[in-house]
Amino acid sequence: MGAFAAYTIIGLGLGGIFSLAALGIVLIYRTTGVLNFAHGAMGMFSTFVAWQVFYGWSHPFWPTWLSTLLAVLAGLIFAAIMGLTLEFAVFRWVRTREPVVKAVITIGVLLALQSAASLIWKNNQYHLPIYLAPQQATFQLAGVPIGANYIVIVVMALGLAFGLGAFLRYTSFGRAMRAVSDSPTSASLWGVPVNKVSAVSWMLGSLVAALAGILITPFINFDTTSLTLLIIDALAAALIGGLVSLPLTVLGGFVLGLLETYPTIWIQSLGFPRLVALLVIIAVLIVRNPRGFAVVAK
Amino acid sequence: MFRVLAALVAFTVLARIPVGFDVGFKFDAALAVIWAFGLLSLVLLTGYVGQISLCQATFAGVGAYTAGLMVAGFHADYLVAVVAGVAAAFVLGVIVGIPALRLRGITLAIVTLGIALVFDRYVFQDHAFEWFTGGTAGWRVDQATMFGLQMDSSKHLMAAYIVLLALFCVVALLMVNLHDSGAGRRLRAIRDSELAAATMGVNLTRYKLLAFGMSAAIAGLGGSFYPLVAGSVSPQPFWLFTSLQFAAIAVLMGVRYVPAAALGGVFMAVVPDVLTRFGHGTFMGRAYDISYDWFQIAVGVLLIVQLIALPDGVWGDLRARALHAWSAAGALGGRKVKVA
Repeated sequence: MGAFAAYTIIGLGLGGIFSLAALGIVLIYRTTGVLNFAHGAMGMFSTFVAWQVFYGWSHPFWPTWLSTLLAVLAGLIFAAIMGLTLEFAVFRWVRTREPVVKAVITIGVLLALQSAASLIWKNNQYHLPIYLAPQQATFQLAGVPIGANYIVIVVMALGLAFGLGAFLRYTSFGRAMRAVSDSPTSASLWGVPVNKVSAVSWMLGSLVAALAGILITPFINFDTTSLTLLIIDALAAALIGGLVSLPLTVLGGFVLGLLETYPTIWIQSLGFPRLVALLVIIAVLIVRNPRGFAVVAK
Repeated sequence: MFRVLAALVAFTVLARIPVGFDVGFKFDAALAVIWAFGLLSLVLLTGYVGQISLCQATFAGVGAYTAGLMVAGFHADYLVAVVAGVAAAFVLGVIVGIPALRLRGITLAIVTLGIALVFDRYVFQDHAFEWFTGGTAGWRVDQATMFGLQMDSSKHLMAAYIVLLALFCVVALLMVNLHDSGAGRRLRAIRDSELAAATMGVNLTRYKLLAFGMSAAIAGLGGSFYPLVAGSVSPQPFWLFTSLQFAAIAVLMGVRYVPAAALGGVFMAVVPDVLTRFGHGTFMGRAYDISYDWFQIAVGVLLIVQLIALPDGVWGDLRARALHAWSAAGALGGRKVKVA
């Protein structure tokens, strides 16, 4: 029973990361119609920037909290700049093209970011985590110790989902974003700054991706490919939310995290969770009518 | 007739090219044809039928592992191994085609990406599939015969290259002919509008499954020669990023055109090797080192630029310009050419 509870906590932590990654995908897809296959690669690159600051450039005499703060800030600032750059340099020019063409462009972004990172940081496996909460801190819940870092992830996933949801619903800029997602043409006729909206979506999406990447570092041996390939789990979670619903996406992320963690009690295999993700994707596409979200794509 | 002649000329010219070079470039030449098969499979699936797939390297990998299993595991003749590899890829292609009956566009891209990842990280690497993949060492193919001739990799690389090239010319010719045949028109009708095609009496289920199966078989045909050319099989050449590179380079070169696949195959095999061989040294007193990673960066950036600027791909754009120049010359008294 104790083992089961421990696996549940690991699964929820993993699920929180999937949720965060998926939130960025849904945000970008809703407002710009781009299904971003490069989402994992963008998070990976920002994570490595944060990692570089934490382990490469920060001074050994600085307190850990200062290094962590600087590293996370550097990663997030880099992510914001990267999101904006991609919008200005690439996706602004293909706004009217078919969704498939935009998706293929993100594959080009994925390939370029992936090899640029492997050029800079090589193909080594790293296990040098960045802890946002103190590493040893645990809480007791019904006799089961829960690491503070797991709680940070879960709280952050839930907080961001509801925060983003509230932002989209109650602020005027959020309303502008939803208007653009419904119809860019009529939104621009109503005076909504479509370019600004899509730039902000890319920036926010990239920020969330970076956050997911930084938060996952304590839990896996990461290298440039494994963080890039987080995309398939994030896409599975996003599909559970139908690529539109933020709360369902977060729920989907947690469900997927648990589904991928429980089999590791019996099957010691690094590849098996990928099969779980694929089965979830296929199951979701069978259960949900695929035309349901073709509307958003145009 | 013109097409057969063109294929024959292409075969004779291309067969001669690697003769004077060292073993490394002969390997590149054979590898170029293997990758060209992968890209040709996308010309059929994406260019003709309009279905997106991000798991073509998986089909090639299944062909390669099946051929390796037949030769190293069952000591079969290599011809039998190739037939088995193509058959295995065809079956997997039809299975992948089943979800494609209901999906299109980006959802199909997600599913095929998932399939490529499952094969990359699980099937090709897990202990549970060692009977198929030959374990971490992979299958070693050093005593292969084909048509009763010795074909092992190190000494007879040119023989493997000639067989591959001949097969590629035949398949490419068949593909060009398919484009204008009745079946080809039905496939292209599916690309333009599935609803309209179904209304006109095209059996969507049959033709989509057939397209996926045949596309996988073409990729598997190239892949099944990989053990012969490289001497062994490993997961690395058929991992997810090769699938993504297939999709990127096929679109970059022009996904609707058969010759673009050959061009892309050469690009994909020769450029990385040239980079790793000659990409280091000193220039104006500064040392430089261009690694393989630059190739994939270039593919990504070129794909983005191409999709914004030349939507029909490099070959498609060059072809359109050549035809325009030809018909402009025709206005001066030559033959008029219809510009499609």
